[in-house]
Amino acid sequence: MKIKPGYVLREVAGSIVVVPIGEATLNLNGMITLNETSKMLWKLLEAGADEDSLTAAVLNEYDIDESTARADVKAFIKKLEDRKIIG
Amino acid sequence: MILNIAGLNVKITPRYEVLASRISNEYIAPDSAKPDFSINIIPGYLEQKQKENPHLTLAECEYIWSGEAVFASMLDFGGFMLHSSAVALDGQAYLFSARSGTGKSTHTHLWLDCFGAERAKIINDDKPLLRLIDGKFYAFGSPWSGKTDENLNIKVPVKAIAFLERSQTNSIERIPSLAALPLVLNQTVRPLGEERMSCLLSLLDRLLSDIPVYRLKCDMSHEAVETSYNMMSERNESR
Repeated sequence: MKIKPGYVLREVAGSIVVVPIGEATLNLNGMITLNETSKMLWKLLEAGADEDSLTAAVLNEYDIDESTARADVKAFIKKLEDRKIIG
Repeated sequence: MILNIAGLNVKITPRYEVLASRISNEYIAPDSAKPDFSINIIPGYLEQKQKENPHLTLAECEYIWSGEAVFASMLDFGGFMLHSSAVALDGQAYLFSARSGTGKSTHTHLWLDCFGAERAKIINDDKPLLRLIDGKFYAFGSPWSGKTDENLNIKVPVKAIAFLERSQTNSIERIPSLAALPLVLNQTVRPLGEERMSCLLSLLDRLLSDIPVYRLKCDMSHEAVETSYNMMSERNESR
Protein backbone atom coordinates (compact mmCIF):
# COMPACT_ATOMS: atom_id res chain seq x y z
CA MET A 1 0.00 0.00 0.00
CA LYS A 2 1.18 3.45 -0.82
CA ILE A 3 -0.10 7.03 -0.52
CA LYS A 4 -1.05 8.31 -3.98
CA PRO A 5 0.81 11.38 -5.20
CA GLY A 6 -0.64 14.84 -4.63
CA TYR A 7 -0.72 15.33 -0.87
CA VAL A 8 1.29 17.69 1.28
CA LEU A 9 1.80 16.97 4.98
CA ARG A 10 2.66 19.98 7.08
CA GLU A 11 2.31 21.53 10.49
CA VAL A 12 -0.16 24.41 10.47
CA ALA A 13 -1.75 26.12 13.45
CA GLY A 14 0.01 23.69 15.78
CA SER A 15 -1.54 20.62 14.14
CA ILE A 16 -0.38 18.13 11.55
CA VAL A 17 -2.48 18.51 8.43
CA VAL A 18 -2.61 16.82 5.06
CA VAL A 19 -3.73 19.00 2.20
CA PRO A 20 -4.43 17.71 -1.30
CA ILE A 21 -3.10 19.39 -4.41
CA GLY A 22 -4.20 19.15 -8.00
CA GLU A 23 -6.43 16.22 -8.89
CA ALA A 24 -6.24 14.78 -5.38
CA THR A 25 -8.45 17.69 -4.28
CA LEU A 26 -11.43 15.87 -5.74
CA ASN A 27 -11.05 13.03 -3.25
CA LEU A 28 -10.65 15.11 -0.15
CA ASN A 29 -12.79 18.08 0.67
CA GLY A 30 -10.46 20.52 2.35
CA MET A 31 -7.94 18.62 4.44
CA ILE A 32 -7.40 16.02 7.13
CA THR A 33 -5.62 16.34 10.45
CA LEU A 34 -3.30 13.69 11.85
CA ASN A 35 -2.04 12.90 15.34
CA GLU A 36 1.53 11.78 16.03
CA THR A 37 0.72 8.09 15.46
CA SER A 38 -1.12 8.62 12.21
CA LYS A 39 1.65 10.97 11.08
CA MET A 40 4.13 8.13 11.58
CA LEU A 41 1.87 5.75 9.65
CA TRP A 42 1.40 8.32 6.88
CA LYS A 43 5.16 8.75 6.52
CA LEU A 44 5.61 4.98 6.25
CA LEU A 45 2.79 4.74 3.73
CA GLU A 46 4.40 7.45 1.61
CA ALA A 47 7.28 5.06 1.09
CA GLY A 48 4.97 2.05 0.81
CA ALA A 49 4.14 -0.34 3.67
CA ASP A 50 1.81 -3.23 4.56
CA GLU A 51 -0.40 -3.84 7.59
CA ASP A 52 2.21 -6.00 9.32
CA SER A 53 5.04 -3.49 9.04
CA LEU A 54 2.77 -0.65 10.17
CA THR A 55 1.63 -2.67 13.19
CA ALA A 56 5.27 -3.43 14.03
CA ALA A 57 6.10 0.28 13.83
CA VAL A 58 3.26 1.16 16.22
CA LEU A 59 4.35 -1.57 18.68
CA ASN A 60 7.88 -0.29 18.53
CA GLU A 61 6.75 3.24 19.39
CA TYR A 62 3.99 2.66 21.95
CA ASP A 63 3.48 0.41 24.92
CA ILE A 64 0.31 -1.35 23.73
CA ASP A 65 -0.62 -4.94 22.87
CA GLU A 66 -0.53 -6.24 19.34
CA SER A 67 -4.27 -6.61 18.82
CA THR A 68 -4.85 -2.94 19.79
CA ALA A 69 -2.02 -1.79 17.53
CA ARG A 70 -3.36 -3.84 14.62
CA ALA A 71 -6.90 -2.54 15.15
CA ASP A 72 -5.60 1.06 15.09
CA VAL A 73 -3.63 0.41 11.92
CA LYS A 74 -6.65 -1.23 10.25
CA ALA A 75 -8.88 1.69 11.17
CA PHE A 76 -6.39 4.19 9.74
CA ILE A 77 -5.97 2.20 6.52
CA LYS A 78 -9.75 1.96 6.14
CA LYS A 79 -10.04 5.73 6.53
CA LEU A 80 -7.46 6.29 3.79
CA GLU A 81 -9.06 3.68 1.53
CA ASP A 82 -12.50 5.24 1.95
CA ARG A 83 -11.06 8.56 0.82
CA LYS A 84 -9.14 6.86 -2.00
CA ILE A 85 -5.86 8.22 -0.66
CA ILE A 86 -4.01 4.91 -0.84
CA GLY A 87 -3.87 2.44 -3.64
CA MET B 1 3.46 47.76 -19.66
CA ILE B 2 4.61 47.71 -16.04
CA LEU B 3 1.97 47.61 -13.32
CA ASN B 4 2.34 48.28 -9.64
CA ILE B 5 0.45 45.46 -7.92
CA ALA B 6 0.62 44.90 -4.17
CA GLY B 7 3.86 46.87 -3.99
CA LEU B 8 5.51 44.90 -6.78
CA ASN B 9 6.31 45.76 -10.38
CA VAL B 10 4.62 43.35 -12.74
CA LYS B 11 5.31 43.26 -16.45
CA ILE B 12 2.25 42.41 -18.51
CA THR B 13 1.27 42.88 -22.14
CA PRO B 14 -2.50 42.91 -22.58
CA ARG B 15 -3.67 41.51 -25.91
CA TYR B 16 -7.29 42.56 -25.59
CA GLU B 17 -9.25 45.62 -24.58
CA VAL B 18 -11.07 44.00 -21.64
CA LEU B 19 -7.91 43.61 -19.56
CA ALA B 20 -6.46 46.95 -20.68
CA SER B 21 -9.70 48.78 -19.85
CA ARG B 22 -9.84 47.39 -16.32
CA ILE B 23 -6.37 48.63 -15.39
CA SER B 24 -6.91 52.06 -13.92
CA ASN B 25 -4.11 54.63 -14.02
CA GLU B 26 -3.23 54.25 -10.37
CA TYR B 27 -1.71 50.83 -11.18
CA ILE B 28 0.44 51.93 -14.10
CA ALA B 29 4.14 52.25 -13.26
CA PRO B 30 6.68 54.04 -15.43
CA ASP B 31 8.09 51.93 -18.26
CA SER B 32 11.52 52.36 -16.69
CA ALA B 33 10.44 50.47 -13.54
CA LYS B 34 12.31 47.23 -13.03
CA PRO B 35 9.85 44.31 -13.01
CA ASP B 36 9.79 41.96 -10.00
CA PHE B 37 8.12 39.38 -12.24
CA SER B 38 6.48 39.07 -15.64
CA ILE B 39 3.21 37.53 -16.74
CA ASN B 40 3.62 35.60 -19.94
CA ILE B 41 0.55 33.78 -21.12
CA ILE B 42 1.71 31.05 -23.46
CA PRO B 43 0.12 31.02 -26.93
CA GLY B 44 -2.89 28.74 -27.06
CA TYR B 45 -3.56 28.89 -23.31
CA LEU B 46 -6.41 31.40 -23.51
CA GLU B 47 -7.87 29.57 -26.50
CA GLN B 48 -7.86 26.39 -24.39
CA LYS B 49 -9.53 28.18 -21.45
CA GLN B 50 -12.15 29.63 -23.75
CA LYS B 51 -12.95 26.19 -25.13
CA GLU B 52 -13.44 24.97 -21.55
CA ASN B 53 -15.59 28.03 -20.72
CA PRO B 54 -17.61 28.76 -23.86
CA HIS B 55 -19.67 31.44 -22.09
CA LEU B 56 -16.55 33.64 -21.91
CA THR B 57 -14.89 35.57 -24.71
CA LEU B 58 -11.14 35.30 -25.32
CA ALA B 59 -10.75 38.81 -23.97
CA GLU B 60 -12.60 37.90 -20.76
CA CYS B 61 -10.43 34.80 -20.45
CA GLU B 62 -7.35 37.00 -20.65
CA TYR B 63 -8.65 39.20 -17.85
CA ILE B 64 -9.46 36.24 -15.57
CA TRP B 65 -6.37 34.12 -16.17
CA SER B 66 -3.87 36.97 -16.17
CA GLY B 67 -5.22 37.64 -12.68
CA GLU B 68 -4.72 34.02 -11.67
CA ALA B 69 -1.16 34.18 -12.99
CA VAL B 70 -0.49 37.29 -10.90
CA PHE B 71 -2.01 35.66 -7.79
CA ALA B 72 0.12 32.55 -8.28
CA SER B 73 3.32 34.59 -8.65
CA MET B 74 2.55 36.51 -5.45
CA LEU B 75 3.47 33.39 -3.49
CA ASP B 76 7.14 34.10 -4.28
CA PHE B 77 6.70 37.42 -2.48
CA GLY B 78 4.75 36.23 0.57
CA GLY B 79 1.39 36.95 -1.01
CA PHE B 80 -1.85 35.24 -1.95
CA MET B 81 -5.39 36.11 -3.01
CA LEU B 82 -8.35 35.64 -0.69
CA HIS B 83 -11.73 35.54 -2.43
CA SER B 84 -13.41 38.20 -0.34
CA SER B 85 -14.65 41.75 -0.22
CA ALA B 86 -12.11 43.89 1.62
CA VAL B 87 -13.05 47.16 3.26
CA ALA B 88 -10.68 49.66 4.85
CA LEU B 89 -12.00 51.45 7.91
CA ASP B 90 -9.91 54.01 9.79
CA GLY B 91 -6.81 52.62 8.09
CA GLN B 92 -7.37 48.96 8.90
CA ALA B 93 -8.52 46.22 6.56
CA TYR B 94 -11.49 43.93 7.26
CA LEU B 95 -12.01 41.05 4.86
CA PHE B 96 -15.32 39.24 4.33
CA SER B 97 -15.01 35.95 2.52
CA ALA B 98 -17.65 33.56 1.22
CA ARG B 99 -18.70 31.69 -1.87
CA SER B 100 -20.01 33.88 -4.67
CA GLY B 101 -23.59 34.96 -4.14
CA THR B 102 -23.54 34.84 -0.34
CA GLY B 103 -23.49 38.59 0.14
CA LYS B 104 -19.92 39.56 1.06
CA SER B 105 -20.06 42.61 -1.17
CA THR B 106 -23.49 43.54 0.20
CA HIS B 107 -22.02 43.43 3.70
CA THR B 108 -18.98 45.63 2.97
CA HIS B 109 -21.25 48.14 1.20
CA LEU B 110 -23.34 48.29 4.36
CA TRP B 111 -20.11 49.30 6.10
CA LEU B 112 -19.74 52.17 3.62
CA ASP B 113 -23.35 53.21 4.39
CA CYS B 114 -22.82 53.13 8.14
CA PHE B 115 -19.39 54.73 8.39
CA GLY B 116 -19.41 57.02 5.35
CA ALA B 117 -16.90 57.55 2.56
CA GLU B 118 -14.57 59.60 4.78
CA ARG B 119 -13.80 56.63 7.01
CA ALA B 120 -14.54 53.56 4.88
CA LYS B 121 -13.59 52.46 1.39
CA ILE B 122 -13.53 49.25 -0.62
CA ILE B 123 -9.96 48.00 -1.14
CA ASN B 124 -11.08 45.26 -3.51
CA ASP B 125 -14.63 43.98 -3.85
CA ASP B 126 -13.81 40.39 -4.79
CA LYS B 127 -10.15 39.38 -4.95
CA PRO B 128 -7.86 41.37 -2.64
CA LEU B 129 -4.24 40.35 -2.32
CA LEU B 130 -2.67 39.74 1.07
CA ARG B 131 1.06 40.06 1.56
CA LEU B 132 3.32 39.48 4.52
CA ILE B 133 5.77 42.39 4.54
CA ASP B 134 8.30 42.91 7.35
CA GLY B 135 6.32 40.62 9.62
CA LYS B 136 2.89 42.18 9.02
CA PHE B 137 -0.01 41.24 6.76
CA TYR B 138 -1.34 43.91 4.41
CA ALA B 139 -4.33 43.88 2.08
CA PHE B 140 -3.99 45.39 -1.39
CA GLY B 141 -6.37 46.16 -4.21
CA SER B 142 -5.62 45.09 -7.76
CA PRO B 143 -7.27 45.46 -11.18
CA TRP B 144 -8.77 42.01 -10.64
CA SER B 145 -11.89 42.58 -8.59
CA GLY B 146 -14.58 40.37 -10.11
CA LYS B 147 -17.66 41.88 -11.73
CA THR B 148 -17.10 45.47 -10.63
CA ASP B 149 -14.17 47.86 -10.82
CA GLU B 150 -14.21 48.56 -7.12
CA ASN B 151 -10.54 48.38 -6.28
CA LEU B 152 -7.89 50.79 -5.09
CA ASN B 153 -4.13 50.62 -5.26
CA ILE B 154 -3.68 50.98 -1.52
CA LYS B 155 -1.87 49.05 1.20
CA VAL B 156 -3.81 48.55 4.43
CA PRO B 157 -2.79 46.47 7.47
CA VAL B 158 -5.12 43.50 7.95
CA LYS B 159 -7.17 43.64 11.15
CA ALA B 160 -9.48 40.63 10.81
CA ILE B 161 -11.08 38.15 8.43
CA ALA B 162 -14.65 36.87 8.59
CA PHE B 163 -16.32 34.02 6.74
CA LEU B 164 -19.82 35.12 6.05
CA GLU B 165 -23.02 33.10 6.10
CA ARG B 166 -26.51 34.38 5.49
CA SER B 167 -28.88 34.18 8.43
CA GLN B 168 -32.11 35.66 9.82
CA THR B 169 -30.26 36.84 12.90
CA ASN B 170 -26.86 38.43 13.44
CA SER B 171 -24.08 36.70 15.35
CA ILE B 172 -20.32 36.36 15.20
CA GLU B 173 -17.87 33.93 16.76
CA ARG B 174 -14.15 33.34 16.60
CA ILE B 175 -13.01 30.35 14.51
CA PRO B 176 -10.02 28.41 15.90
CA SER B 177 -6.98 28.57 13.60
CA LEU B 178 -7.10 24.92 12.56
CA ALA B 179 -10.79 25.11 11.63
CA ALA B 180 -10.12 28.29 9.65
CA LEU B 181 -7.48 26.66 7.45
CA PRO B 182 -9.82 24.72 5.11
CA LEU B 183 -12.08 27.78 4.84
CA VAL B 184 -9.14 29.88 3.62
CA LEU B 185 -7.93 27.11 1.30
CA ASN B 186 -11.37 26.91 -0.29
CA GLN B 187 -11.40 30.63 -1.05
CA THR B 188 -7.99 30.98 -2.66
CA VAL B 189 -6.35 29.52 -5.74
CA ARG B 190 -4.77 26.24 -4.65
CA PRO B 191 -1.26 26.11 -6.05
CA LEU B 192 -0.21 23.14 -8.13
CA GLY B 193 2.88 21.28 -7.03
CA GLU B 194 3.96 20.19 -3.58
CA GLU B 195 6.57 22.87 -3.11
CA ARG B 196 4.15 25.72 -3.90
CA MET B 197 1.46 24.24 -1.66
CA SER B 198 4.01 23.89 1.13
CA CYS B 199 4.94 27.52 0.66
CA LEU B 200 1.28 28.62 0.85
CA LEU B 201 0.76 26.54 3.99
CA SER B 202 3.70 28.26 5.72
CA LEU B 203 2.20 31.61 4.85
CA LEU B 204 -1.24 30.56 6.11
CA ASP B 205 0.30 29.19 9.31
CA ARG B 206 1.60 32.68 9.94
CA LEU B 207 -1.66 34.34 8.89
CA LEU B 208 -3.75 32.19 11.22
CA SER B 209 -1.47 32.86 14.16
CA ASP B 210 -1.46 36.64 13.57
CA ILE B 211 -4.93 37.48 12.28
CA PRO B 212 -8.20 36.59 14.04
CA VAL B 213 -10.74 34.74 11.89
CA TYR B 214 -14.48 34.81 12.58
CA ARG B 215 -17.70 33.19 11.42
CA LEU B 216 -20.25 35.91 10.78
CA LYS B 217 -23.90 34.99 10.40
CA CYS B 218 -25.78 38.02 9.20
CA ASP B 219 -28.72 39.58 7.42
CA MET B 220 -28.59 42.75 5.33
CA SER B 221 -29.33 45.30 8.06
CA HIS B 222 -27.19 47.92 9.76
CA GLU B 223 -27.35 45.72 12.84
CA ALA B 224 -25.25 43.21 10.87
CA VAL B 225 -22.52 45.86 10.61
CA GLU B 226 -22.73 46.57 14.31
CA THR B 227 -22.28 42.85 14.99
CA SER B 228 -19.25 42.42 12.73
CA TYR B 229 -17.59 45.74 13.52
CA ASN B 230 -17.87 45.50 17.31
CA MET B 231 -16.22 42.08 17.39
CA MET B 232 -13.68 42.44 14.59
CA SER B 233 -12.43 45.87 15.61
CA GLU B 234 -12.11 44.56 19.20
CA ARG B 235 -13.82 47.76 20.26
CA ASN B 236 -15.55 45.93 23.10
CA GLU B 237 -12.47 43.99 24.14
CA SER B 238 -12.20 45.47 27.59
CA ARG B 239 -15.86 45.83 28.48
